[in-house]
Amino acid sequence: MRVWDTSHLLDDIPAHKQASAGHIYAPADSQANLQRIRFHFKQLQTRLILGLVLGFLLPNALLSAYFHFQFTHTLKESAKLSLAAVAESQKNTIDLYLQERVVNLYNLFHSKDFSLNPTQEQMETLLASLKHFHDGFIDVGFFDPRGVQIACAGPFHSLLGMDYSHEPWYHTLLEDSKNYLISDIYLGFRKVPHFTIAIKQVFDNQTYVMRASLDPDKFYIFLRAISQGKEVESTLINHQGIYQVVDPGRSQFLNRSDYIPPPISPAGVEEFERDNQKMLVAYASIKETPWVLLTMQPVSVAQAGMINTRLVLTTSLVIISLLISAIIYFTIRRLVDRARRMAEKGQQLQEMLTHASKLASIGELAAGVAHEINNPLAIIMATSGVIRDMLNPEFELDHSPEAICKELSVIDTAADRAKGITRKLQDMGKSRVPSVVECDVNALLDEVVGRLKKVEFKPKHIEIAGDLAPGLPRIFAEPEPLRQVFANILINACDAIADRGTIGITTEAKEDMILVTITDSGKGIPPENLQLIFNPFFTTKGGGRSTGLGLSIAASIVKYLGGIIRVNSIPGTGSSFTILLPINEQAQKTIKQPEK
Amino acid sequence: MDKKQREFKVLLVDDEDVFREATARQLSVRGFIVLTADSGEAAVETVKNDPPEVVVLDQQMPGMHGSDTFIAIKKIDPLIEVIMLTGNTSVDNAIELMQMGTFDYLMKPINIDELLYKIEDAYTRKKLNEKQQQEAGQ
Repeated sequence: MRVWDTSHLLDDIPAHKQASAGHIYAPADSQANLQRIRFHFKQLQTRLILGLVLGFLLPNALLSAYFHFQFTHTLKESAKLSLAAVAESQKNTIDLYLQERVVNLYNLFHSKDFSLNPTQEQMETLLASLKHFHDGFIDVGFFDPRGVQIACAGPFHSLLGMDYSHEPWYHTLLEDSKNYLISDIYLGFRKVPHFTIAIKQVFDNQTYVMRASLDPDKFYIFLRAISQGKEVESTLINHQGIYQVVDPGRSQFLNRSDYIPPPISPAGVEEFERDNQKMLVAYASIKETPWVLLTMQPVSVAQAGMINTRLVLTTSLVIISLLISAIIYFTIRRLVDRARRMAEKGQQLQEMLTHASKLASIGELAAGVAHEINNPLAIIMATSGVIRDMLNPEFELDHSPEAICKELSVIDTAADRAKGITRKLQDMGKSRVPSVVECDVNALLDEVVGRLKKVEFKPKHIEIAGDLAPGLPRIFAEPEPLRQVFANILINACDAIADRGTIGITTEAKEDMILVTITDSGKGIPPENLQLIFNPFFTTKGGGRSTGLGLSIAASIVKYLGGIIRVNSIPGTGSSFTILLPINEQAQKTIKQPEK
Repeated sequence: MDKKQREFKVLLVDDEDVFREATARQLSVRGFIVLTADSGEAAVETVKNDPPEVVVLDQQMPGMHGSDTFIAIKKIDPLIEVIMLTGNTSVDNAIELMQMGTFDYLMKPINIDELLYKIEDAYTRKKLNEKQQQEAGQ
């Protein structure tokens, strides 16, 4: 058993297109197809580029942001640590420096020139010895247990004999457990900024004090000398935030500092703003004095390396991203362009193929027409030859008007046959003006069967077995073409039955289709003919009994109605034609209108 | 046109009754002994029972096709000459027919005089072939 679906065959020779063969190859359609392909590939290109660029850039941007954050944080910490290290190193140097000065002074008690009642000359020698160690020493003084400066050397002779017992530094030194003291910067009796290093020594239960003052400017020079790093600025303040040693360009001794470190912490790094500039400051408490070293650097300088590196990294990232985006763009464009060109070429080839196959169909149709027309023409020519023979005295034939009329009627019959063929062809090609109405398929079938019973079925013993589904949904169609479809298939069924047989007609609604099945108990269709029966002029009925257009017309009408015909046949047993017709009105409306 | 007695048998095979009869009548008045068959099967039977000199055979017939009929006839008597009638105009078809060994072919609608000449030529060749075969046999 073979089943043959006609739907693809109908595409080959669409009846409504045969009449307009000159318009089959439509350049406008071709242009529209090309436009569609271009639009489709343009969309594809945009999607691919966006997808790939986003797919690459988004994770890249997230990763970069994460590393950027980590990098910035690490480098900021690194700048702070670096400045803290500088401050720590400076602090140690200052401590060492002050310890050395204390030792310088302490050594005076053990000098050979020392006495509890030193002469001026001895004091001058002691001062010279101090200055020998460090030129920052300004003067030196010696105090008896009452706190009176009993000897001194240096520029301030007026201070000789002055009572220092009420001076804070003197008081602190005597009270403190430590044997030495380094004072804050103060003006004192001399009214000149200086700071004092004082040492107490007990002789015979009496406390004597040796004191030397140091020049803050020299100390500043020292501080400058030990400074390291770009734009690093070091100052010393006391716990009240008063400058002890400061760049003269920045401030003055005894002024208040812009920054005061937290009181408890001995060391640390902070950011603060000075003169609208962000500064990084590292602070460290000096061990030997109640001073705090402040080492400052502008943030922009401290993080210059980081900022530069960050700039290089960001620029590289942007350039790489742009480069990759460009590569993606151009590669995708090239690939899509190539694919588009291939699709266009494919489309053109497809169109050429369709065009060629349509031309071939036209050729086949023309050949079929020629063959079918040639048969009646051959009869006409042969019969006219007979008449000519009748009129030829040489042949001595009956040439009575009756005899000639008889032959002429044969010619008329043949001419009518030729006319019938051309009319059916015209019907196939004719554009149908749709007069769609609600059709009852059962009623149409009854009507057709009734009509055929009188003519086609009469000479044979054919039983019609109808099984029409009651309440079948009505379909929207033109009734006459539908009648023609049923009639053509029923005539074929009748022809297939030699003398006695059955034709079964069933209808049923299935989903959105109506199925009409016409079966016959005839001779069946050989498998090799199944794919040919819908071709125009294909016939197995000899003797000019058929034009071979019936099934072709039926298929064309069903196709026009949006349905299909299926054939199922077993040679020797019978055939079954199933016509599927859409019920849906919407489906009907979307049926392509025939070309005019 | 002539009325001479040719007195050899021509078998005309075509499923178109009217054409077959009209052509047969035309050939008859021209002195041929015309046999007719409406199908390939009938033609083969006729060749077996009453062999003609020349067969005029329609190519497109339901049932036994012209080409099959030709082969069957040649199997019965290879010396019988066959003229094919075809409605198909293609060169391929003509070449195919000639390659099969038909004497000639004619396209429908036919001119009776043309058919006459071809039948006579076919008959002449058949006689020539028979003579050659006889000579070869001796």
